[in-house]
Amino acid sequence: MSDFSIIDHTADLGLKVRGETLEKLFENAAGCMIRLAVKIPNSRPTETLEVHVSGSDLEDLLVRWLGEILYYFEGEKKIATKTRITSISPQHLDATLQIIRYDPALHELLSEIKAVTYHQIRVSQKEDRVWKARVIFDL
Amino acid sequence: MDIELKKLDSFRWVIPKTGAMRVPGLIFSNEHLIKDIKMDQSLVQVANVATLPGIVGHSLAMPDIHWGYGFPIGGVAAFSLDDGIVSPGGVGYDINCGCRLMTTMLRADDIVQDMEMLVSALFRNIPVGIGSRGAIRLSDKAQDKVARMGAAWAVQEGYGEPDDLERTEDRGTMESADPSFVSERARKRGSDQLGTLGSGNHFIEIEVVDKIHDTKKATAFGLFKGQLTILVHSGSRGFGHQICDDFLKKMATRNLNGPYRVPDRQLACAPISSELARQYLAAMACAANYAWANRQVLMHWIRKNFLATLAITPRELGMKLLYDVCHNIAKREQHTLEGKSIPVYVHRKGATRALPPHHPLLPQAFRHTGQPVLIPGDMGTFSYILAGAKGAMEQSFGSTCHGAGRVLSRSKAVKLAKDRSILRELRNKGIFVQSRGKKTLKEEMPDAYKDISQVVEVVHEAGLATKVARLRPLGVIKG
Repeated sequence: MSDFSIIDHTADLGLKVRGETLEKLFENAAGCMIRLAVKIPNSRPTETLEVHVSGSDLEDLLVRWLGEILYYFEGEKKIATKTRITSISPQHLDATLQIIRYDPALHELLSEIKAVTYHQIRVSQKEDRVWKARVIFDL
Repeated sequence: MDIELKKLDSFRWVIPKTGAMRVPGLIFSNEHLIKDIKMDQSLVQVANVATLPGIVGHSLAMPDIHWGYGFPIGGVAAFSLDDGIVSPGGVGYDINCGCRLMTTMLRADDIVQDMEMLVSALFRNIPVGIGSRGAIRLSDKAQDKVARMGAAWAVQEGYGEPDDLERTEDRGTMESADPSFVSERARKRGSDQLGTLGSGNHFIEIEVVDKIHDTKKATAFGLFKGQLTILVHSGSRGFGHQICDDFLKKMATRNLNGPYRVPDRQLACAPISSELARQYLAAMACAANYAWANRQVLMHWIRKNFLATLAITPRELGMKLLYDVCHNIAKREQHTLEGKSIPVYVHRKGATRALPPHHPLLPQAFRHTGQPVLIPGDMGTFSYILAGAKGAMEQSFGSTCHGAGRVLSRSKAVKLAKDRSILRELRNKGIFVQSRGKKTLKEEMPDAYKDISQVVEVVHEAGLATKVARLRPLGVIKG
């Protein structure tokens, strides 16, 4: 089963993501968002970043976590090709980002994601203990 | 959630006040358009907005309404200064996304043979597309000036004429801007995006005036049949997106611990009288100014490219700004409610201000016509120039529609266009298109939008704005 599917939204684009653990869910969500934004050929990361994100609950934390990764891309031209959540609670997470620098000659941009929205945001754990989330981006 | 909808007349539907709604909803539409509206979740969003504290009149929706995030796109809501709120989601991420129309002295027929070259030149020389970066790099100090002065900064730097400011909503400057409330991140995202078009539904279109609906107003606007015009649609780029995002997060956290429970977190808001609302409005004004400066710079470069490509003099080209309007904004305005004139904060998210004739805020040139309203359609059909009408002040806090409005999601559009060449289809209709991404053309194909002529008919018949002229695209530059 795939880690994510696309939600059809008239104006924008949403994702349904799953993960065996909460850490995996957040890592998958970040990976999916980056895959929607930019096509990256296999290349070695050149930099590692430590990030710490706080939120008021899991939903808020997910929006802020994705917002953090989006900012690094949009504001600093740093693409998080791989992320690893090292610790997570409903109010806080620590993570390591593997970064490559955006290079217009190598990396094809696919969609301009303006922001990660709170619209219909959901994070939940199902009976089978799998974590699921939905999130809508503004394009 | 099922939404009860009552038809008032041929152009108006009401959502009666139920549950937590503080006011009823009012939707401007017609029998045909309302079918699409019922298909997505936009009516629920109209009802959700109606639950926000201090909302007055109706939670309004224009005929181009579609499902947004939090507020619907094509929504208008006004809030009382006493107990009302300000909501960044009610403005949207692309603060002061808007349109600018330039007229020329050229007849479209005379430059048909140059159209492909013109489109290529604009596409080559103006930064367009996802993540487009500008030729202008702003120092921190210069960015502060852009944020404070807006289009006036651009004119001062040589990008246009002082007269352009007369023909820009709010003269291209929101005085309430205070860059000290703009985050480091927003500054960084905005530092190299001034003078860029962006992607998605943003565009530059070369259009011909194809039909005159109101001769008197068209003449006053300097329009004639067969005339070449240029329409620009762009906004505040990453600078505005980040400002919205920053304040939405702050308000979402506050809402969770504060007195307001909103039905959708994206409706996060703060009381107008609060410090957080004051800071948001000051930062939002910076983004609004950035967007006006952006469209002013784009216009300057379009003019330069026309002059160079056609090898004509500025006098022969005669490029003039007709008007620049924003369609994502929150503003303090004076409106009459139940016979009393009161100040309110009007949120327009995908809606255009439409001042009627003799409104005190109108510049001299439009005193007798009403404010020009620019309504772009999809890239294959028409766009319209309207004039603000009395009915807008009576029914919609001086607002009207902003465009065609999507009917298909982007992924549905791409699926539908799978084996089609949108480029060739448009070329066969006599429209030259250049776009950065092939996917953009599919996402933005004409079938993805509502019928613009029906949208415009509704606002015309409902008395919000009246038709002045219709434009037909000849050349399109997309991100």
